[in-house]
Amino acid sequence: MEKKSVSVTLEHVTKRFKNVKGKADVIAVNDSNFVIEPGELITLLGPSGCGKTTTLRMIAGFELPTEGKILIGNQDVTMLPPNKRDTATMFQSYGLFPHMTVFDNVAYGLKLKKVPKEEIKTRVDEMLSLLGLADMGDRAPSKLSGGQQQRVALARSLIVTPSVLLLDEPLSNLDALLREQMRVEIKKIQRALGITAVYVTHDRTEAMSLSDRVIVMKNGVIRQIGTPSEIYESPDSRFVAGFVGKAAFFNVEVKGHDGEHFKCALGEKIVEVKHAAPDVKDGEAVIMARPESLRILGEGEGKISGRVKLNVYLGSSIESFVDTPFGEVLVEIDDPFAKKIYSEGESVSIDFAPDRVRLLSKSEE
Amino acid sequence: MFTKKRIIQYAVIAVLFCIAVFWIYNQLSSSFAEYAEERNFSEIELFARTAPDEMDKEDADMWLSSVSEMIPGAISAYLIYDEDLWDFVSFAGSDTLLELYDDNKGNDVFVRAIDSCYYLEPYVFSNLFPIDYSENKDGTAVDDSQLYFIPTADESGAFSVGAIIIAVPDTAVTGYENLMRVLLFGFAVIFLIISAILMFTRDPMTGFLVLALFIIVGLFVAFPIFEAIRLSFVESGHFSFEIWKRCLSPTYLQALWGSLKLGVLTATASTIIGFLFAFLIERTSFRQKKLMTTLATMPVISPPFSLSLSIILLFGNNGLISKQLLHMNASIYGLGGLVLVETIGMFPIAFMTLSGVLRQIDSTVEDAALDLSATRWQTFRTVTFPLAIPGVLSAWLLVFTNSLADFANPLLLSGDYRVLSTEAYMLVTGRNDLGAGSALSFLLLLPTLTAFLAQRFWVSRKSYVTVTGKPSTTLTDLTNKPVRITLEAIAWTIMGFILVLYLTIVAGCFVRNWGIDYSFTLDNWGEALSRGLTAIRDTVTLAAIATPIAGILAMVAAMLIVRKKFPGKRLLEILIMTPYAIPGTLIGISYILAFNKPPILLVGTGAIIVINYVIRELPVGVENGIAALHQIDPSIEEAASDLGADVNTVFRTIVLPLVRPAFISSMSYTFVRSMTAVSAIIFLISARWNHLTVLIFNFSENLRFGLASVLSTVLIVIVLAVFFLMNAIVRDDKLTEKTISTR
Repeated sequence: MEKKSVSVTLEHVTKRFKNVKGKADVIAVNDSNFVIEPGELITLLGPSGCGKTTTLRMIAGFELPTEGKILIGNQDVTMLPPNKRDTATMFQSYGLFPHMTVFDNVAYGLKLKKVPKEEIKTRVDEMLSLLGLADMGDRAPSKLSGGQQQRVALARSLIVTPSVLLLDEPLSNLDALLREQMRVEIKKIQRALGITAVYVTHDRTEAMSLSDRVIVMKNGVIRQIGTPSEIYESPDSRFVAGFVGKAAFFNVEVKGHDGEHFKCALGEKIVEVKHAAPDVKDGEAVIMARPESLRILGEGEGKISGRVKLNVYLGSSIESFVDTPFGEVLVEIDDPFAKKIYSEGESVSIDFAPDRVRLLSKSEE
Repeated sequence: MFTKKRIIQYAVIAVLFCIAVFWIYNQLSSSFAEYAEERNFSEIELFARTAPDEMDKEDADMWLSSVSEMIPGAISAYLIYDEDLWDFVSFAGSDTLLELYDDNKGNDVFVRAIDSCYYLEPYVFSNLFPIDYSENKDGTAVDDSQLYFIPTADESGAFSVGAIIIAVPDTAVTGYENLMRVLLFGFAVIFLIISAILMFTRDPMTGFLVLALFIIVGLFVAFPIFEAIRLSFVESGHFSFEIWKRCLSPTYLQALWGSLKLGVLTATASTIIGFLFAFLIERTSFRQKKLMTTLATMPVISPPFSLSLSIILLFGNNGLISKQLLHMNASIYGLGGLVLVETIGMFPIAFMTLSGVLRQIDSTVEDAALDLSATRWQTFRTVTFPLAIPGVLSAWLLVFTNSLADFANPLLLSGDYRVLSTEAYMLVTGRNDLGAGSALSFLLLLPTLTAFLAQRFWVSRKSYVTVTGKPSTTLTDLTNKPVRITLEAIAWTIMGFILVLYLTIVAGCFVRNWGIDYSFTLDNWGEALSRGLTAIRDTVTLAAIATPIAGILAMVAAMLIVRKKFPGKRLLEILIMTPYAIPGTLIGISYILAFNKPPILLVGTGAIIVINYVIRELPVGVENGIAALHQIDPSIEEAASDLGADVNTVFRTIVLPLVRPAFISSMSYTFVRSMTAVSAIIFLISARWNHLTVLIFNFSENLRFGLASVLSTVLIVIVLAVFFLMNAIVRDDKLTEKTISTR
């Protein structure tokens, strides 16, 4: 089953859909450029309609790019139909063949490759037991639970030893607990087989926990590519910051850079911020702060004054909602047992360290 | 996909190919012209030697008459050498040619030709003198010609005694050239499309399938209809409105009016009865719902003549009830009988449409009305019926189109009453006037198409029905007991009458001579089976060939239409659906018009019947397939193709098994409809291929009711057997069907 991992490259890929009434076309994917390294698991993350599934379907070959090229390894596959590509897709609805048993479902790809019968038998049994489906072989897919169906779909995709595994929101039909289990399972198998994988999801937790790198998309445009920690800690735009995690934004005016820190006017105060998105210039900007980067201090001690509106107790932490001149700000207080907790209605102030927040340009996008 | 390089490559290939085809065409046509000339020469020379020695004008005419057999379309004349005049003089044969000779004697070419005949040398020249080939010299068939001058020699072979002039019209040659042009052009177009598919699509298989479908429907739907339209404007070789003028004369307008009147009456009666049955089954606590549904669908699948036949047996001039029991002299032939038979035959259509509509009306809205203290009658009047109105209109229009297109019943029962479909048939078979036949059919198409389109695009969109997917568990009976019993009584009476009709046919099989001698006999069986055996065999064979073809073609077309994107999809859909909307008479006539000549000569073969079955039943199959595919998650097929299956394999291993219920039911539909077809088939049968229904018609027309009854019974048994067999197979598939829809 060993196979050399390959890369996937998209060069200036654009997909336009003809509008039904013949009016303006809809641009689903706009000039996408990226390289997926061999053996990497990359996630396409974005709200629905952002073009992530279309991108995946173009890699699989179900959609033809309007412009641009797609390469798997060094081979240009743009014009190849799905059946000629070395990819395997796991569909959101699984797409199991309802008229075949589990065994026949998994064996389908091998039969098409004219693999000898005995070998099919051994390989399918192997794959089924690998995924914990050992004695399900002669059942109909409709007789299985959601998680089992999901694993059959995974087995069916993996058994043909594809170079690229494509997963289209495969966990969205499962309940929360099962989802977590399967997430780990998919990751383990992908690692073990060293398959290059593309994972489409709108769930940021899934994206964060699974991927080597995340591609955040919006309206057909790639907004940022990076490791989970990069896009969480160093987003380049308010959209990415907001989409991959909770964040508070404070309007500021950038007054200049002293070699180490940006000087920003936050209300009447001047604050220092260490990190900034590349497009931040002097003038209007926002400070992006994650809840866990903020601290609550007594009145007048911190940078922003406010009043505690609501405390939500979560055990390991407390989420504190604070009314400030910049709107409601969420502060996460870790290890609450060891800290002073301000009660609801108390006047407080919010503080942050210069290196724990990030300057972004003001645009909402 | 459309890169510059590819487009240039394609253009180069296209140009080279076109040049090649043109070159081949040129070569072929010039060598054919030479060949034709040589062949004519040698044949005529041989012929010249057969000249009788001593002949008078009559002998010569006799002798010359064989020329036109030798060279189709040619005319000939004989000149005799007059030794006194030292010249050739007119003697016998075509007056046109003799006149031409006398008029142009002094002409250079003629002098040369005559000279060469004198020295026993044949001579030919072409395209100098237009000649009128038409029989009555009305100038309708003037054509350029080749004129052959062939000398005849005396016994010694040394002296010329006469000369034959033969004029061969150019059309004899250009006809062949046209054919070659069509074939080469078609070949070139198909080659270019195929290479375009190969170069510009990444899934050539789909392209080829689409191309194949387009060729099929183009050839067997668009082309015949086009031919029928064209030929309805052509009178003796020229464009004219003559045919249409004749068809719009009062006689035929009266027939149109007859068709419309029959349609309206039948549709109204059928809708009322259909609604009664549907209401009884869907909205009351009526007991025998299953039985009633089965019985009510019987007339749809039974052969078209059977009901008419038994009506004649019961109420005809020598009918059992009308004559023997009541001693009436009233005739069943005419409008009354037709409405009766068509209503019985077609109310199931209304019934099935309406019960579908009523079933989908959520009965909770009725409960709501009842809850608001409406009476049952008020509920029906203000809630149920208004909700069902689109369905009622839809059913009415469906029956109306069916009645207009109906052909079999009027053929037997119309008497003096005239309807268009049979008038067209009379024109074609009686007077061999195909153009007028097709024009009349088009006249019929107008209301049919209007009703069809209205039903399809207007009424069916107005539907209030919402599918909630939640079946109501309980049904409130909308009738009280007396009303229900009345309705039931009416329904059973109608059902009983229908059963009597069928039993009459069975009885007819065993009666010596219906109307005169009612003694029991088995003779009918022997005679009918021996005379009808080939027809039975032909009918079953042809239907059995057509069935799988239509089934697979329908599923392939459905898959392409639902799942694939390709240019011209809408057009393909329309072409596939067209045969559903147009009357069978028109299809039959247009098939004769289109396929009785090269390049596609099919009239008289079994193939044309099979093709006709396939094309006519394709729409229903495609609709079934489309509905079934819409139920199936596209990612199932995508998964297969992702795992390496090409379009063929996806179709064979995934689509076909998943749409199996639709596949089988459309096959059973095709088989049943093919077995019972009349309207188009009656034009297409030949000495070699007969059809059972036509034979039944012939027997009934010749008052051989015993034989007709036997064959009808046989046909009904075959059809019912196949129908229930197929149903049983589909029922086994319910499991698959369920798992598909509850994905």
